[in-house]
Amino acid sequence: MKTTVAFIFGCRSVEHEVSIISAVQAMRAVDKEKYDVIPVYVTKKGEMYTSEKMFEIEPFRDMKTLIAESKPVTMVKSGDDVYLHFLEKKLFKKNEDVLISVAFPVVHGTNCEDGTLQGYLEFLGLPYVGCDVLSSAVGMDKAVFKYVMKAADLPVLDCICFSAREYAENREAVADNAEEKIGYPMIVKPVNLGSSVGISKAKDRQELIDAIELAVSFSDKVLVEHAVQSIREINCSVVGDADDCEASVCEEPFMNDEILSYEDKYLGGGKKQGGSKGMASLSRKIPADISKEKSDEIRELAKKVFKALGASGVVRIDFIIDTEDDKVYVNEINTIPGSLSFYLWEATKLPYKQLIDRLISLAFRRKRNRENLTFTIDTNILSGVSFGSKGSKGSKI
Amino acid sequence: MLFILGLIVCIIGSSLSLIRQYQMLQQNSYFASRYLGWQKSNFAVIPFVLKVLVIGLAVWAAFLPNEVLKDSMVLFAAVSLFFGWKGASKNASSIKKLVYTARIKRTFIFAVLVLVILGVLACFLDFAFQNVVLVSFIVLTVFPEILCLISLFALKPLEKLIARRFINDAKRILRSVKGVRVIGITGSYGKTGTKYILSRILSEKFNVLHTPESFNTPMGVVRTIREKLRADTEIFVCEMGAKNVGDIKEICDIVNPDFGLITSVGPQHLETFKTIDNVFKTKFELFEAVFKKGGTVFANGDNELIKNRASDDLVLYGSQNEFNFRAENITGGRNGATFDLILGNEKVSVSTKLLGKHNVLNIVGAAGLAYTLGVSAKDIAFAVSRLSPTEHRLEMKTSVNGSLLIDDAYNANPEGCLEAVNVLGSFEGMKKVIITPGLVELGDKEYEYNKALGRAAAKVCDKIIFVGQKRSKPLADGVYETDFNTEDIYIASSFKEAMEIYSGFADKDTVVLLENDLPDNYLK
Repeated sequence: MKTTVAFIFGCRSVEHEVSIISAVQAMRAVDKEKYDVIPVYVTKKGEMYTSEKMFEIEPFRDMKTLIAESKPVTMVKSGDDVYLHFLEKKLFKKNEDVLISVAFPVVHGTNCEDGTLQGYLEFLGLPYVGCDVLSSAVGMDKAVFKYVMKAADLPVLDCICFSAREYAENREAVADNAEEKIGYPMIVKPVNLGSSVGISKAKDRQELIDAIELAVSFSDKVLVEHAVQSIREINCSVVGDADDCEASVCEEPFMNDEILSYEDKYLGGGKKQGGSKGMASLSRKIPADISKEKSDEIRELAKKVFKALGASGVVRIDFIIDTEDDKVYVNEINTIPGSLSFYLWEATKLPYKQLIDRLISLAFRRKRNRENLTFTIDTNILSGVSFGSKGSKGSKI
Repeated sequence: MLFILGLIVCIIGSSLSLIRQYQMLQQNSYFASRYLGWQKSNFAVIPFVLKVLVIGLAVWAAFLPNEVLKDSMVLFAAVSLFFGWKGASKNASSIKKLVYTARIKRTFIFAVLVLVILGVLACFLDFAFQNVVLVSFIVLTVFPEILCLISLFALKPLEKLIARRFINDAKRILRSVKGVRVIGITGSYGKTGTKYILSRILSEKFNVLHTPESFNTPMGVVRTIREKLRADTEIFVCEMGAKNVGDIKEICDIVNPDFGLITSVGPQHLETFKTIDNVFKTKFELFEAVFKKGGTVFANGDNELIKNRASDDLVLYGSQNEFNFRAENITGGRNGATFDLILGNEKVSVSTKLLGKHNVLNIVGAAGLAYTLGVSAKDIAFAVSRLSPTEHRLEMKTSVNGSLLIDDAYNANPEGCLEAVNVLGSFEGMKKVIITPGLVELGDKEYEYNKALGRAAAKVCDKIIFVGQKRSKPLADGVYETDFNTEDIYIASSFKEAMEIYSGFADKDTVVLLENDLPDNYLK
């Protein structure tokens, strides 16, 4: 008997493909002596499928064939356990439902990474790897994330935030407000997208309007912040939970454009190399070429961010250094980072296999911590209740 | 027609009587000898004479001509239904009712089948044989004890086979989970509480499964493994109960423990163990099993019996300086206890909400074992601070007029009750009250234990409220041996009345111990 891990990936997200790459990498790195791996691929429509073929990238290039050869599944709860339930019933065939010990979400972006999937798993009562519902949701919303960081006295760039409707109803006022409160150059972002989708820079009014137009096409809520003139981006990964966590070495991703765009992050040089290496293939410097003091400062900060958010599992926190005054700002958090930031951990002397092992242990630990609190009392309050007229026994509501 | 109706009613009546018999059979762990022992101690003359008379009547009727016995079947049916109703209602009003396990269902069906076959035979046989069958049918109906034993013995080979299959299956499952470590916990008292404490501490680091509630028999352990052990289980904490020599070994043979914890050796279940030496031997079957495997066994060194006979291979824990794992500087009070926990070379200050010194010892034992398994002192201290009492086990509550209530309603063992009285005594500067009906089902020692409880209560309490006039006589005898002011003794007829008396003088400087909450049928 081995612990069965269900890797959940894909999903209704703009980062669907990136998730497939991250998941395949992770599933291949799992210690097969210790764990049985079940791939659970979620299509862009939200259906779940499983197949032995999903341990390779290749079959995903021909999605129609892959789906035709896969089995539709769902998750069901029975007693204390959760099973992967096969939807196609074959007559006279034994029930092949598989008991799942733990879920491992490797999803990126809205509709999954933002707490949606975590809520589903929480509701099922299945232990899962990574951040819980609240930290996932806060981590996804760049504006709310900044508010939380501010409340925890952690350094973030000031921003303004408005809805697509507010903008549509009064474009000029919104732009005026941004100019007044933030000032050029500015960066405009949709609040809830990862992987730099929809983000652009504005040096004047025209660029600002264009940038907002682009951002509102991705999200209902938009955030504008000051663009630091001379900037270095430094990323750092954290593993653990709120009680005990550690930070990886820092990395510095290289930018082709003025900001790290989607192409840089996931497709950078991708076509030449077969485009299957995801985050790990992005051109970057590990460890980042910064002083030890700066690196230590960022790593400490990373752990504080992790704890302030109540995160769990592995996350990547992106920082900005304003090279003019050498100040560090928390930019954003990826609660499920591309490639699970394994390249940062390998550089920190934690092999991918062990990283995954640790992440699964953390999932069980959180489940235990929650079970140690009492959720229900084993007496049925309703059994002693009567509704008025007939009730001579029991209490009334 | 009336005859067949009589037969059917007879079968229904017998089935109802069987409920009570199977309840007692189950609670005597399916041992015929213990079951008969219970029958002996609960023997009542009048019903027995009545039953013999009924059989005599049947035999007499059998020798009369003209199918008298057959025609009077309805009469016997009424008798059967009466006894059945009495038996079933006794079960229904018990604290521990009959649990309809698969085994009970099999045995029950067999017994009813025997009656049905006899009934059918009676319908088709000729006069002479019919009367023989009818008389034996009536005997079985009036004395369901006989049918209970017949069904027990008839199904024994089958039950053995089924049990063997389940045991082998459990062993296979346990072997198939790689790296799972098994911890056996036993002791005359304190094992259930320690099990919960140990599991909670271990859960800081491991996926832990423990046997639920009091599932401490071989089949209870087997069931836990088959239903609850998962691939991700890292530690299985197995409570092992014993009433006879060899019981612990039987469980050890199934689970093959890597570690052991012995909480106490004391005079429990002496009716089956006979001597305290046998109790000791049985508890140390756990040590033998673990030692053979090269594992470590922790045992409570504050327990005299254990300390006197301990070998060097045993790791003793307790409150004495010579132990590697011990509690120092214990301070206790209404909010629990604070003490220094010494774990080999490490020392950590811990506090717990659990009341009583026995709980401090349970924590030390559990902590020592968990520490050996790799849980850090820091994690242990945190887990200990989070422990909460099991319901109705020395649970602190607030009561009428802002007074404090120590709810120990589920405690029914003599040692535990005396400890609870000690806890009450630790509430210095407060008016101390006890509400108790005393202890039951303790065999021939019952009077002595209750008297001792009465004496102990008199030393500590300012006021005493006994529940049940007749019931509390032994308790009162204990109190009268002391110079306790008899005006401060109250006798209530029910808990409700006891609480009314209590609220008459309770204020915020009063603490009341509610000890052993008996169901009302005991209160006479």
